[in-house]
Amino acid sequence: MSSIKESEANYVNPRGIPQAPFVEKVEDYVQSRDQVESILKSFQDMLQKYKFMEMSTLRREAGLKEKIPDIQKTLDMVKFLDASCNTDGELESITTSYELNDTLYAKAKITPRDTVYLWLGANVMLEYTNEEAIDLLSSKLKSAKDSLESCKEDLEFLRENITTVEVNTARVYNWDVQKRKEDREAAELK
Amino acid sequence: MQMLPAGQENKDTEVSWVDQQKINAFSKLNTRMSNLEDEYEAQKQEKEYLDDVTMEMELIDEERVQYKIGDAFLYLPQPEVLERLEQDIVNIDTAIEETESKILLVNNEMDDLKKYLYAKFGDSINLER
Repeated sequence: MSSIKESEANYVNPRGIPQAPFVEKVEDYVQSRDQVESILKSFQDMLQKYKFMEMSTLRREAGLKEKIPDIQKTLDMVKFLDASCNTDGELESITTSYELNDTLYAKAKITPRDTVYLWLGANVMLEYTNEEAIDLLSSKLKSAKDSLESCKEDLEFLRENITTVEVNTARVYNWDVQKRKEDREAAELK
Repeated sequence: MQMLPAGQENKDTEVSWVDQQKINAFSKLNTRMSNLEDEYEAQKQEKEYLDDVTMEMELIDEERVQYKIGDAFLYLPQPEVLERLEQDIVNIDTAIEETESKILLVNNEMDDLKKYLYAKFGDSINLER
């Protein structure tokens, strides 16, 4: 185990995902042929853990990708309402076809005011002034985009480690095949 | 990406930590590239839709048209809708440009890595899609 680089072996990324150990020289890493099987198995375990993390991060990413357009839409609407009640002191009513239910639209005349109601989830809705609503939605949008970025970063990091482990596996395996062949040839010479 | 096929003779190429990092970087960029390509396609499509709808909107002979904001359609004066569409087009153009420059960057990095890795590992490594 001496050939694993210590500093890199202990590295974790900002979300605490550990970096996979890298096998520098197979012959140092594998002290005897008997170890090959257990080493390959430990790589297999590592690989599985990384794949599992990859799966759950992918799910998180998909969730965020759905959430971001939703926030964006609400933000767009609040901005529009705010703009249309700001333009002139006189409040002009807006005619809209709004979605009453899935695929069912109804016509409504609304007068924008300086407050809106935001659905916060968990059966709670709160009244906000337009300005506050825009601030709130903007910050939610930003944090969602930030976590999407870190999701992507994690996925790339996981990908890197999966590759490392796969290459480790291939090299230890090849080394073993090579050794077997040498043994066989040595035996034939005798 | 793969290393030696099982059973083939190892051609004595040592994989150093630097090499490994380069292989990882390539793999990472490869994934990033395919994501960027998807994004680019989607943006192109969106741009096409916007162009078409702007064309229609210039010809339409109605005072108010329904423009979608969020999940609702709003009856807006036609000139205002045109204005909004123009803004949408500007936005998507910027987004497309951004994606294009990212793709270019990733491409260049990948080419450099390819040169290095093929020079070092030759036939033992396959970096094509």
